[in-house]
Amino acid sequence: MLVPYNYLPYEFKNTRIIFKEWKKLIKTTDFTLGSKMLEFEKKFSKYIGVKYCVATNNGTDALILSLKALGIKKGDEVITVCNTFYATVGAIVACGAKPVLIDCDSRYQIDHKKIISKITKKTKVIMPVHWGGASPQMNEIIKIAKKYKIHVVEDACMGIGAKIYGKSPGTFGIVNAFSMHPLKSLNVMGDGGMVVTDNKRIYNWLKKYRNHGMIDRDHIDIWGINMRLQPLQAIVALEGLKKIDSVIKKRNENAKKMDNLLLNLSPNIVIPKRPKGYRETFALYMCLVTNRDKLLKYLIKNKIEAKIHYPLPLNKQKAAKNLKLNQRNFTVANEQAKKIITLPIHQYLSKKHIDYIAQKIKNFYEKK
Amino acid sequence: MKIELIDLKQRYKEESSQILTSIKKVLSKGHLVLTEELNNFENNICKYTGSKYCLGLNSGTDALMMSLWALGIGKGDEVITSPTSFVATIGAIIHVGAKPIFVDISDDLNMDVSKIESKITKKTKAIMPVHWAGKMCSMDKIVKIAKKYRLKVIEDAAQGMGSYYKKKHAGTYSDIAAFSTHPLKNLNGLGDGGFITTNNKQLYEKIKLYRNHGMKSRDNVHVFGVNSRLDVLNAEVLNFRLKKLKSVILKRRRNISIYQKLINQKNIKIPYDTKDQFSSCVIFLCLCERRDELQKYLNSKGIQSLVYYGTPLHKHYASKIDGLHRNKLPVSENLAKKVLALPHHQNLTIKQIKIVCREINKFYKIS
Repeated sequence: MLVPYNYLPYEFKNTRIIFKEWKKLIKTTDFTLGSKMLEFEKKFSKYIGVKYCVATNNGTDALILSLKALGIKKGDEVITVCNTFYATVGAIVACGAKPVLIDCDSRYQIDHKKIISKITKKTKVIMPVHWGGASPQMNEIIKIAKKYKIHVVEDACMGIGAKIYGKSPGTFGIVNAFSMHPLKSLNVMGDGGMVVTDNKRIYNWLKKYRNHGMIDRDHIDIWGINMRLQPLQAIVALEGLKKIDSVIKKRNENAKKMDNLLLNLSPNIVIPKRPKGYRETFALYMCLVTNRDKLLKYLIKNKIEAKIHYPLPLNKQKAAKNLKLNQRNFTVANEQAKKIITLPIHQYLSKKHIDYIAQKIKNFYEKK
Repeated sequence: MKIELIDLKQRYKEESSQILTSIKKVLSKGHLVLTEELNNFENNICKYTGSKYCLGLNSGTDALMMSLWALGIGKGDEVITSPTSFVATIGAIIHVGAKPIFVDISDDLNMDVSKIESKITKKTKAIMPVHWAGKMCSMDKIVKIAKKYRLKVIEDAAQGMGSYYKKKHAGTYSDIAAFSTHPLKNLNGLGDGGFITTNNKQLYEKIKLYRNHGMKSRDNVHVFGVNSRLDVLNAEVLNFRLKKLKSVILKRRRNISIYQKLINQKNIKIPYDTKDQFSSCVIFLCLCERRDELQKYLNSKGIQSLVYYGTPLHKHYASKIDGLHRNKLPVSENLAKKVLALPHHQNLTIKQIKIVCREINKFYKIS
């Protein structure tokens, strides 16, 4: 049985409505910013529970835009986690600031207990990541930020549909970023992203900066750049928003099934804690396993498309060396990098698939 | 009869079914980022322009930024450019941390090459000529100056797709060139898009890495980059449109030649190519006496026109912040009062052009 990781062939099987909307778009040639994008921004802010949303090219641009809105520049330090997608650090570097990395906790999230010791006079922002669609302990992080008068910018790129005691990611920091890359819970047919905020002044700046700093065609207020969401993708996103809750529900059901099946396989497999009040998006279903590389090979041989996020934490990447980050003591993250594995869990998998994955894993450990 | 400035609606409507077919084809494959369609687009552009390398990016602005970044231009550096351009020219320079240095323009609305040398300082790192409205700058002269002072040249060819200078395509004279495929360009998608062309393998490799998060492979990052990948749905639309580009440009050039014959050019100056130029004619910019009155008159006759642009870049509010507004660039300031874009697109009929010309001639005769 094939258990695919990439579910896009199923995802966009029925595109009738999208094509109908695209046809209309072509008729109106509403291609720059455009009414569909504005409609999406409104609906998305409502979904998240924030006042304002600005749609961007992609999640990376959303992160860059968020940091730029706070004036982050050369000489500033931004605290973030050492196991995340490269764009988190890429965005900090693109603003000229220095990324300061923090070790992970047992749920692969930024370890809030290790933040304070890394705060310096230059620290301007803490950028927690909702890694894999789970969330770090946002309330603790907000407390620290308040105490030290630092801003929080959430990298919620994988967090659309997650909840922390009823509150969405993107409602904790002052200005926060999301992604709609094809492999996210709310996805488009290419790249897309959003910045959200409750701060009107920041919102006005974001809107301007994303569109060349223009107030209108003939008036340029600041020197901005172009980070506009593709209108084609705004239409896809609007459709996606209609079904996001059912996607998250199905993924949570699948994850729960998987959790229950894998629990019996301990101690070879360690499933992260699922604290009460935290709803995950399961952008990535991750666990720690012994003999990881062999298990991965075995699963792939059995047509289960498992992945690793990531075999090399950021601090060990060549790019980090080039930056002379020289940061050490990521004992937890380094250990996790050797054991972590991501199993397919998406909404198009049935109980049959989940059973099959668990069975194969069981076979692998029994075989030995 | 209403005569519109551009024909976007008509053009997209005509091609609607082909556009949707192109998109369908891409979607059927299940890959939506950096796909074969984008590869094909990049190869097609190389063939068309005669450049060795091409990379599809998010936008023309990103193409400019990436070009500057790849050349190592940043804080403390100066980049010489034109005040008569779209805002993104300056936005890109500021975004990488460098300072734009303006050179005044000539009557053809392009950077006045004879004024470049006096603006070169120790901090100057690059010259960024803008091929405004699709008319190329005297690239051989600019390259000569750049060589003399060891400066880099970045062509802002956002409007330069299909433009030639001395039979060489835009982008082939410089270290690297930035193009746009915004809906208002001759080669246009259904939203933002852009690309760079270069003959320099090192710059190509650098940007290829940088546009995709600096990833050498999925698990290895060599440099912390960003995300600037040309939308693949648009890439396939552009592939289809590229096949028609030559005929689109020829039609547009034919229209301008009709304008040239029919307008009495005593009070209005119409652009001509020099013997070295072959303009892609993205917009049809004329220099008009009593411009605002003319625009009003044309408007009353149902003829659309647009001031493109009424404010040179150093006169914007944004320039105050950086002290750029202190520049004195009299030609650009003067021509901003005269410039007007007249109806111009490939679907314009001879009859429509005749009406526009007749009304313009009438306006200047009456008054």
